Amino acid sequence: MESKVLKPVLAVYAGLFILFLYGPFIVLGILSFQQGPEGGPQFPIIEWSTYWYKHLFGLTPPSRIAPLPVGEALVRSLTLAFMTMVTSTVLGVMAAQAFRKRFRGAGLVFYLIVLGMMVPGVLTGLGTSLLANNVVGIERHWWSTAFVAHVVYTFPFAFLVMLAILNRFDGSVEEASWSLGVSPITTFRKVTFPLIFPGVLSAMLFAFTLSFDEFPRTLFASGRDQTLPLAIYGTFSVEIHPNIFAFGVMTTLFSFALLSVYGILMALSVRRAKKIAMQEDIS
Amino acid sequence: MKQSDPIFRLDGVTRRYGNLTALDSIDFTAEDNSYISLLGPSGSGKTSLLRVIAGFEAPDSGRIWFQGRDITDLPAHERGIGFVFQNFALFPHLTIFENVAFGLRNGAINPPEAEIIQRVKETIEMVGLTGLEDRNPDQISGGQKQRVALARSLVMQPKLVLLDEPLGALDANLRERMQTELRTIRERLDVTFLHVTGSETEALAMGDKVAVLDSGRIVQFGTPEEIYDAPIISDVALFLNRFNLFDGTLKDGVFHGAFGSVPVSGARANETDVYAIRYDRTQIFDTGSTDLPGPALPARYLASEYLGSSIVFLFETEDNKTVEVDHHLSLGEPRDLEVGRDYVLSWSPEQAIVFGKELAR
Repeated sequence: MESKVLKPVLAVYAGLFILFLYGPFIVLGILSFQQGPEGGPQFPIIEWSTYWYKHLFGLTPPSRIAPLPVGEALVRSLTLAFMTMVTSTVLGVMAAQAFRKRFRGAGLVFYLIVLGMMVPGVLTGLGTSLLANNVVGIERHWWSTAFVAHVVYTFPFAFLVMLAILNRFDGSVEEASWSLGVSPITTFRKVTFPLIFPGVLSAMLFAFTLSFDEFPRTLFASGRDQTLPLAIYGTFSVEIHPNIFAFGVMTTLFSFALLSVYGILMALSVRRAKKIAMQEDIS
Repeated sequence: MKQSDPIFRLDGVTRRYGNLTALDSIDFTAEDNSYISLLGPSGSGKTSLLRVIAGFEAPDSGRIWFQGRDITDLPAHERGIGFVFQNFALFPHLTIFENVAFGLRNGAINPPEAEIIQRVKETIEMVGLTGLEDRNPDQISGGQKQRVALARSLVMQPKLVLLDEPLGALDANLRERMQTELRTIRERLDVTFLHVTGSETEALAMGDKVAVLDSGRIVQFGTPEEIYDAPIISDVALFLNRFNLFDGTLKDGVFHGAFGSVPVSGARANETDVYAIRYDRTQIFDTGSTDLPGPALPARYLASEYLGSSIVFLFETEDNKTVEVDHHLSLGEPRDLEVGRDYVLSWSPEQAIVFGKELAR
């Protein structure tokens, strides 16, 4: 009785969910195969072609449509995301480790850290640029001011991921290690870190992806040289051509590759996680 | 070293958690090369005591001496005291061999590889785990994990090993076998075991000496026989789970309780007046019997519990107190009792232990 009503409702819900989740990407994917250079970013497809992919790599004869100015921006964004990932993850692990012991003002520090992901991005970006230009008096660069803004933004995510992981972590394995005469530093390296590694991976993934497509903070904080999201947005203001869709497909594929690496590393350490879970069951 | 030399000593060790005093100025001296049981109900502070000795927690006051050295301010990894956890706390990402080798490989003394392999092999053999070296901790049973945890500590050749309810996670069968094995293993090595447990049978069976902990204090320390035969206060008697305890009043050498008034020859100092008689010293008589060995306590028979070597009969007195009578089957067949019928319980007064505010001596 109940399922007769519930099932169709759930089916519609699932359908809509999938439509909105994958719809944009499918449309984008289809349009990237539009004919060029005359074809525009709209249906119907005049003729299927890989023109815009060739255009992207400069393999087409020169036309009135300029190649996408994304090469350098892509390198910048990747470098920035990598720097942010490493910094935020290290800070996140260390901060979460500190929170395992209750210390005075722990609540306040917690909110101060998490504030970084709460404040509106545009304001943070603007604030960062004003601080750099007018107060400290330094130039804005993607590798300096924007990097700081990115870390401030992604660090809370890494921190929260690690906090959740360490919350469930049974400290008795560390105590066991100490009682065997192993120093706390070696214990962290040989026991704690291998066991929290799945969490560290997740924190890294969070920090990287958040930084890679960060827009509002970077807009003001990055200075002259643009990162990828800014460069792409810049091309919109003139005229939209399907080459941007082709590029979108390429970056999405890149993201999938990244996710696969994450998935493989995760699968390797999941076996460990299972073992921890089994030990916890006994206690 | 002779057995009488002290291996470690606690000097007024106190530990508080907020308003709760877990350890209340504990003085304690343990002999070298012995097996000490630390018996206490949950919340008595026994785990806190172990953690303070191990160095996982610092005492609020007091000093800890180990092998003639004050180790109060020494971090855990510099103390050289082994610790076996109730949940084993094996390193899940390492094999059994690497679990046992962990301290040798990563500690301050870094012996050559050949020596590590030699020592690990010997220890694994001693605890009976040969053949399981390459397994992971999730591929072995609870009893085997217990042995790995023990081997991991013993391979470091500590002079003191702290065991925190090491048998708590094992089933009854395995627990008894491990009891014997722990004793055998300890006797082969020159090491002191301090074994914390909440089980009075375990504590009495395993310890050369038993320390009874209650509300953060060591209330009695002695051989299992001393503890069993002469509990020093009524709380110890209660915790041993071998005594029927009756509240009452002790006045001028006479104890007034539910069983009438009995003259007593002596009493142990206690906060309340309590009359204690062991389960297996309590006898059952028909109502109206005249040849009672001592006081008469009317009680209704409720049920019996067969324990293999003995039977426990449960009675209820008029004021709804449960009284247990333990009949050992080697003494002959138990009598047939009718559920719900009234009987009289009695015992010889000289076998009772009386605790009182007044010392009738």
